[in-house]
Amino acid sequence: MRPVPTPLKWLLAGLVGFAGAGVLAGAAALYVIFSGAFDASASTPHRAIVAWATHTTMIRSVRARAADITAPRAFSAAEVQAGLGSYDQHCVACHGGPGIPRAPFVSAMTPTAPYLLDAARRWSPAELYYIVHRGVKMTAMPAWGEVLSDKETWNLVAFLEALPKMSAADYARLRQAQLAAASPARPDR
Amino acid sequence: MKPVAAIACLGLAAAILAGCGPNPPPRRLGFGDVEQGKIIAGREACGSCHLISGMQQADGLVGPPLDAFGRRTVIAGVLPNTTDNLTRWLKSPQAVVPGNAMPDTRLTDQQARDLAAFLESLQ
Repeated sequence: MRPVPTPLKWLLAGLVGFAGAGVLAGAAALYVIFSGAFDASASTPHRAIVAWATHTTMIRSVRARAADITAPRAFSAAEVQAGLGSYDQHCVACHGGPGIPRAPFVSAMTPTAPYLLDAARRWSPAELYYIVHRGVKMTAMPAWGEVLSDKETWNLVAFLEALPKMSAADYARLRQAQLAAASPARPDR
Repeated sequence: MKPVAAIACLGLAAAILAGCGPNPPPRRLGFGDVEQGKIIAGREACGSCHLISGMQQADGLVGPPLDAFGRRTVIAGVLPNTTDNLTRWLKSPQAVVPGNAMPDTRLTDQQARDLAAFLESLQ
C-alpha cells in the first residue's frame, strides 16, 4: 500500500477532529436541553456566561435592527408630558423612576427590569423606540407596539430622553399635571 | 505524567497563586453575607444607576460609582459610612435625603445587612 502524503494526513486528522468536536458540542447541547440540568427557575441568578451571552445578544440585535429607524430630531414638551402619562401607566411599576421604587415583584424577576434614569445615555432614540415597540424575548419586556400606537411609543421615547435631567420633584409635578389634564374623563384601556 | 499527578500539581499551583493575592477584606462575621449581598445588588438592579466593578451590566452613571465603597467616608454626602448608617440608607434613602434620585427599597433588615456587607467588601 502506498503511504498517505503527510499534508493529506494532517488534513484528514483535522477534519475528523472538527467533526468530532461538532458531535460533542451537539451532544452537550442535547444534554442541557433534555437532562433537566439547566436551572430555568427565576429564583437563582443567571450564570455569568449566560448573563453575558443573552445580554450581549440583545444589545447587538437592537443596535443592528434599529439602524434604519429614523427618529425625530427633537421632542416637544407636550410629547414629553404625554410620554410621562404612558410611562406612569405602563412602565413605572417595573422600571421605577427618579426616587420611585419598582413594584416589589420586580426584584424577583430574572433578568430583573432596570431603572431607566440613564437609558437615553445607553441607547439612541431609534434604539429606545425599537426596544419599546418590539419588546425583548426571554425577559418580561412586552412588545408595546401591540398595545400602543407609534405616536404613543415615540412619546415614551421623548419622555426617556428627558428623564436623565428630571428630578423626583419634576416627575411628581409633571405627573400631577398629566393626571389633572386627563381627568375627569380618563379613558380606561 | 499521570492524570492524577497532573491534577494534583495544578491544584497545588492554584493554591499557591491564590495565597499570593491581597488579603481578603475583613468581614464582620454574623453581620451580613457578602455573596448573598451581591445577588441582592443584582436583583435590586443597583447596576442600572451605579458602576460596580466585577458585576455584569453594572455600568450606570446616575449615582456615584460603588468601587471602593468599603473605604468611603460618607454616604450620600451626609451620613458617616458606618454599617448601621449604610443599612439605614439602603432601606430608606428618601428618609435620609428627601427627593434624591435613589428610591426606597423594600429590603428586609437581613437583606439590607447582606447588601451592606457586599458594599463594604468593595475595597
